[in-house]
Amino acid sequence: MLIPINIDLPGPSTPRRPNLPPQLIQFGTDELILIELQGSLEVEGNRDGQLVGKLRVDAVTKPTLVIGHHLLEGKMVSLNKPLAVLHRHDARASHDGADEDASMDVDGPLKGGEAKSWDMIAIVKRKMVFSKRPMPIASSTKGITTPLSRIGSKT
Amino acid sequence: MAEYELRFSPASQSDTGAFKLLELPPDLCKLIEASVASLDKPPQFTIKGAPEDDAVLCTADKTYTIRSVVLSNSVCVVTPDPAVSHVENDEPEPVEEVFIRDQLNEVIELVPSVPRLYKLKLLLRGQEYDEGHEDEDMVSDDDDDTTSRRQRFKYDDARAMIQASDAELDKGLRDRRVLMLNGELRPIALSHLTTILELLLTNLVSLSLSHTAAPILTLTSSLEDEHDIKRDVSRQVMSWFGRFDEDAGTWEMDVNAVIREVGLGILRAYRNEPTPEKAFLGEWRKAVGDTFEEHVSLPLLAGNYLTSPDTLADPPTSLLTYFPSSELPAEPGARFVELFIARPRWKIEEIAPFLADVAVDAKERDKLLLKHARTVTDPDGIWYTARAKYTG
Repeated sequence: MLIPINIDLPGPSTPRRPNLPPQLIQFGTDELILIELQGSLEVEGNRDGQLVGKLRVDAVTKPTLVIGHHLLEGKMVSLNKPLAVLHRHDARASHDGADEDASMDVDGPLKGGEAKSWDMIAIVKRKMVFSKRPMPIASSTKGITTPLSRIGSKT
Repeated sequence: MAEYELRFSPASQSDTGAFKLLELPPDLCKLIEASVASLDKPPQFTIKGAPEDDAVLCTADKTYTIRSVVLSNSVCVVTPDPAVSHVENDEPEPVEEVFIRDQLNEVIELVPSVPRLYKLKLLLRGQEYDEGHEDEDMVSDDDDDTTSRRQRFKYDDARAMIQASDAELDKGLRDRRVLMLNGELRPIALSHLTTILELLLTNLVSLSLSHTAAPILTLTSSLEDEHDIKRDVSRQVMSWFGRFDEDAGTWEMDVNAVIREVGLGILRAYRNEPTPEKAFLGEWRKAVGDTFEEHVSLPLLAGNYLTSPDTLADPPTSLLTYFPSSELPAEPGARFVELFIARPRWKIEEIAPFLADVAVDAKERDKLLLKHARTVTDPDGIWYTARAKYTG
């Protein structure tokens, strides 16, 4: 069995894909960042397009993520060895222009083990890590969120 | 102060499980980045393996074993809106939403490894090419009185089934003396190989050709006309044992390689009965002829013989036995068992040639020695012995 891995990195000859905003690019590449969380996001129901939370970058040392009533503080970490991000080719084809693939026969969802090929879409050398415990927060009426531990303090 | 909405992908169903993280060793990363920068054709990586094998990743010339490392944290792959496949202008609208495409808990690690060529032996069994058998393409089956075409193993089959990069596969085939005739792989019978090499040596002398620039056609024609050896075959043999200058149409013989193979041919007779070293060297020199006999030297055959002292002789001489590393098990543990059966203890320079095809470099080799052997130091130096001894 042969599974090819195609290199499809952004370069002078590839069509321009949408970029991430500048404040986020410093955490990864122009098109992709990796966000590491302790534990995982558990979801019930259809999650398509659903809001997870608000991501803020005040400085490269202070990214924060507010998920529900939790505030997570993170930082940028450089990776020891660069990580390549691989995207399964058929799943990709279903995003970029479904009409080209009308002739393609799809008998139901392909299992991961049967992928015909994968595309290397990014090489990342840094990641955004949220490793501190989340802080519970309360929202004030003005919609500005303050961590409970900081209410009443001067900052 | 910048704020974005972090959302799940609008196509979570198809995105989940569609991403993987692959840790890149520094040399691979450099290779990829260099090709992107220089607009060259990007390197092609392929994951190879049968369902029951451990998978490997092959570049054009290297093989890496694939390992999976489980993370305690989860890593989210976050990108802009995946539904937007490309931007038309240089002034895209400001992005306010970013999307989690997948959450990953494992990273794929790549470990450099030796190419897994041992399957070749199995797959090529019964496919030998020997003189006089060139036309034997039909096999008769006595059970049901039918003749069928012998199943030939093709080069393309090897590329699909062997877990090695193309460059390593080609080298492996050359090292194992496998001919490619009409896209089919045929290992040459070793006795036939020695015959061809000896003919090349004698022809070089009799036709007064220089071994650094011998006209290819002259040699191949002579072998075909006088000795019935197909040109394609003798040309491939020459390619294994030298270099071609295609413009000048000449062959530069790799003297050591040829001498070595002739020596091996003679040594093969002494698998079960050792031969005195001196007598063997004499035989070898004779086979090679006076022009080349100065190149005869025992270290050329490293990894294919064992020495033992002939204690009965006076003064004690050295005996040689044929012991090819190509016939040792591929798996390191089993190989060490065989090696210690052959000799209870080894010096590093004696055992190193027999580990050359299972350890990718000296560091790996030392790791194997650490794992499978015990070191004993005495006034003679450092010896390697078997680890566990269950006597008795």
